[in-house]
Amino acid sequence: MRDERIARDARAAQYVALDVPGTFSVRLPLGIWTARDGEFSVLFQEWGDRTRRLAHLPIGEPLSCIGPLGNQFSAPSEGQRATIVAGGLGVAAFWLLARDLKAARAHTTIVLGARSKLSIVGRDELAALGFDIDICTDDGSEGFHGSVVDRVRSRPPSDVLYGCGPPGMLRALCRYANEAGVECQISMEENFGCSLGTCWGCVVPVRRGCPQGTGYPKAPREIRDYDFARVCADGTVFRASDVLWLH
Amino acid sequence: MAALSTSSALDMSVRIGSALLKNPIIAASGCYNRGAEYSRVTDISQYGAITLKSVTRQPRLGNEMPRTMSTPAGMLNAIGLQGPGIEYFLKADAPALAHVPTAVIASVAGFTVEEFAYVAERMDGIPNVVALELDVSCPNVDREGECFAAQPSSIAAVVAAVKKRARLPVIAKLMPNVSDLKPIAKAAQEAGADALSLINAVRGIAIDVKNALPLLANVTGGLTGPAIRPIAVHAVWEVASAVTIPLIGMGGIETGRDALEFLFAGAGAVAIGTANFRRPDVHMEVLAGIVAEMRGRGCERVTSLTGLANPRFAGSRSVEAAVARPKTHLEGAHE
Repeated sequence: MRDERIARDARAAQYVALDVPGTFSVRLPLGIWTARDGEFSVLFQEWGDRTRRLAHLPIGEPLSCIGPLGNQFSAPSEGQRATIVAGGLGVAAFWLLARDLKAARAHTTIVLGARSKLSIVGRDELAALGFDIDICTDDGSEGFHGSVVDRVRSRPPSDVLYGCGPPGMLRALCRYANEAGVECQISMEENFGCSLGTCWGCVVPVRRGCPQGTGYPKAPREIRDYDFARVCADGTVFRASDVLWLH
Repeated sequence: MAALSTSSALDMSVRIGSALLKNPIIAASGCYNRGAEYSRVTDISQYGAITLKSVTRQPRLGNEMPRTMSTPAGMLNAIGLQGPGIEYFLKADAPALAHVPTAVIASVAGFTVEEFAYVAERMDGIPNVVALELDVSCPNVDREGECFAAQPSSIAAVVAAVKKRARLPVIAKLMPNVSDLKPIAKAAQEAGADALSLINAVRGIAIDVKNALPLLANVTGGLTGPAIRPIAVHAVWEVASAVTIPLIGMGGIETGRDALEFLFAGAGAVAIGTANFRRPDVHMEVLAGIVAEMRGRGCERVTSLTGLANPRFAGSRSVEAAVARPKTHLEGAHE
């Protein structure tokens, strides 16, 4: 997609909200994958009405696009070793981060997982930035046979983990990071309503006191001892130590 | 917007009780939070007013996820009145409302009559807030899940209690899930409501067939979007024959044509909700559409469109013109 401003301003883990023509629906939020030379790209799978129509739009069709939206990954401190942990299309959060880490000469490892060899996405673009990619597949058809979190456990520990992928993977990654005492930032996904933070439709439970939470006082009869944060506007990036996995 | 500059000779203002709005387009409650987010992406001063997300007496964490679900031509939501409670709202949110570049309607929700009256009273004196909307369509814990807007006597009790304690004009928000809206609307008017807004979201449920479970954590949600528009127009049509106070019509408005349906059915103003999510400029398009219609009909006052299609329209189209209005900051470029 061509947009000078978005391509220039996009930061790691930010997204755009697209109004897909020919659908009634709220905007489709998609993570910004690559961004350079006045153009940016998004990764998505044809899944529902919006993604199907988006995939079949004629080239050159103008599209209403709000962005870049959301917060961003925080860079590692000087000398910290970083590991990017990407599951499936979650890799979309990482081209910009990998680019920035490369430019900062940060010691970076990329672990990229998929169901099988055929469903690996994003490998070539990340490799083109100059990274060796550690591939994991659920079926063992290429690389490490198992999940990206299993792979991370089996590797030498790093100082910062960056995660994006399906909820089960993020949950496992957060558990590992919290148990191991490793700093971990994850980019989360939810069904968004407004994509701007107005509708409160995409909240994630966070610990009380998390700076991204509402900070509202606790109601007298409220038994739940946590807070909510909006994935679309307070995230999409949260610290593993802040996110609660209730279910 | 170019179309708006041509409206300089038109009177787009509408009156809701003592509040005068510069145009009849209002942002619906729950979709605009406190206004700040949409200021980043559109000109919210083109709204006649924005309605805030409802405020309750106590803080509320709201429902668990999932809270929203796309449905054919609409959206189900069950946020659960997440909010800071009135004390925190007054401290943290209210001061910033002074910077909202249009009028503000504060939405009040509660679970008892006293809660409504208390929160409404505390809303007094907030900069820019010109009216109160009572979200009487939320579950009433004291009446086993029934809503205040389900019974004439219940809505009358809330409106009367609020009117006794609040100085701002009061808008009661009606819900469509009743067998007959007219007696409920009449009861609200008789209790002192200055206006009615209708409709609140229509109750709905979506089920995940694969897992045989409801899709929303709250099970029941509120359906909004174009799917409910004919239901909403019908509600306005019915109520317009029963009361004389102004009606704010809402439910699936996305274009000027949609808004005109509501005006012609008997609404004096309209509100836009879900459509903001997709097109943040939607209010300007709706306003331009109404202006174009007025030009086409050679009419100078937007109030003269109200009830045009409804032979039983009971309200007044000329009241706004007949009242000598004080000039206020609310009167914008259209004056």
